[in-house]
Amino acid sequence: MKLKEEKHKSNITGFRSLAPGSSTSQTGFLGSVPLPFPMSHGTTTLAFMFQGGVLAAADTRSSCSGLVACPAARKVLPIHSHLVGTTSGTSADCALWKRILARELRLYQLRHGRRLSTSGAAKLLSHMLHPFKGTELCVAATLCGASFTGPSLVYVCSDGTRLKGTLFSVGSGSPYAYSILDQGVHWGLSVDQATSLAREAVYRATHRDAYSGNCVDIYQVNSKGWTRRTREDLKEEYYREKERRAHERRERQDMTLSE
Amino acid sequence: MALVEVSGLRRFVELRDQILPAGPTPLLHRTGHYTFGAETPEFAVPLGVDPSGFLKSCSRDGGVSIDMNHGTTTLAFKFRHGVIVAVDSRASAGNYLASTNANKVIEINPYLLGTMSGSAADCQHWERLLAKECRLFKLRNNQRISVAAASKLLSNMMLGYRGMGLSMGSMICGWDKEGPGLYYVDENGTRLSGQMFSTGCGNSYAYGVVDSGYREDMTVEEAYELGRRGITHATHRDAYSGGVVNMYHMREDGWIKVCQEDVSELIHRYKKGLF
Repeated sequence: MKLKEEKHKSNITGFRSLAPGSSTSQTGFLGSVPLPFPMSHGTTTLAFMFQGGVLAAADTRSSCSGLVACPAARKVLPIHSHLVGTTSGTSADCALWKRILARELRLYQLRHGRRLSTSGAAKLLSHMLHPFKGTELCVAATLCGASFTGPSLVYVCSDGTRLKGTLFSVGSGSPYAYSILDQGVHWGLSVDQATSLAREAVYRATHRDAYSGNCVDIYQVNSKGWTRRTREDLKEEYYREKERRAHERRERQDMTLSE
Repeated sequence: MALVEVSGLRRFVELRDQILPAGPTPLLHRTGHYTFGAETPEFAVPLGVDPSGFLKSCSRDGGVSIDMNHGTTTLAFKFRHGVIVAVDSRASAGNYLASTNANKVIEINPYLLGTMSGSAADCQHWERLLAKECRLFKLRNNQRISVAAASKLLSNMMLGYRGMGLSMGSMICGWDKEGPGLYYVDENGTRLSGQMFSTGCGNSYAYGVVDSGYREDMTVEEAYELGRRGITHATHRDAYSGGVVNMYHMREDGWIKVCQEDVSELIHRYKKGLF
């Protein structure tokens, strides 16, 4: 048992030196480095399952307590050809752990000749994040994948949560998105309907939440792999909606006049 | 009182003769109305009591904690045919559900409604006091109080106790000479007029739904449906909201109570799949 454990640990080479409290760590580095500024986690990401696979969407605003650090960030990161992850929390932490997960999944694929399932990937990520529980690490990701078992969606958080489900929304704008998704999501949606629903949900969240905004990224994952739509500016959506409302009002006025 | 002397506050009665001409005392300067029955303008809290300090001691992590969260969802929006007010009916005390059919709308008069979110005791007390003041206004001035004035009265009451730990988020809705009126009043004294508000910890869920379905020229039935949906989706996702949807419609000739429907039945109507 001991031999197997040691072999396993040495396979994940970079990982051991990062773990806090291990005998090889030179300083208790996670405990002693102070945070440069208070971290705040502002975003809106969502993902849901339907007959066409899994749809993942996110806004593109990267905020840094009140400053919009980047209006064109990428919060939906592809991990491999059939797995996509949405990220929420600290951008640096999310980017790093996604790359570590991508590396581990590729190594698994090379060693075992097949891809790890989405639930397996989620479990791996959750166990990798476990040593950092209680520190300021903040990663809240939803892994959206389509494997030989079908599409699946798992939510993984650095506080240890790992939930399998059909609809998730993460971030400060998530309550606004949840109510829109609850109204419209069902299994029989077409791809176009699902895309416009996801866009509407992110738009409503960016409308009310100060820490979400700018553009929306939409990815669809199915058995053939992931596809990405061109990034859409939500400002256009705002003007389109105004036009639509004005048009509806004109139509109604015409209807009442003709009656 | 020692504090009154130290702060240099003099009895109003002494100063009044110097400031105002002699004659019958106008309404404003009599004891009672604006000084809550005291001859001297006093501090609102008895000596030796420190409400804000007491409340800070009650929010210690790990120890006894009184969480003044606004555990509810209420929403109200103005449209062409009046104001729709919809509230849930769950009253929670921490994790315990004290009531599943609490009444969170106070009917001030046939033309004014107030919603309650936050501490139930604070809301009920201050809104009943507001109802009293509105009635007195009507008796003294022989006309109904406007929505702006009623919300201003409530806001000033809140400002008098600012920082002392009150918790109240309320919307004052009515129809007066200016048309339909909707004001949001907070325990900090915030007073905002607007087209649509939602308060309570479930407010973000309600905002998503109402923002996407709101049109200024909705029909009355569409507006009822939107109010019901907003509360239903919020109660579905928020743990501190639930019970029934109580909905009122404020019209030109007064308010009517539209419905009282259980959210667990409504959610099955509105949520399509994945159940």
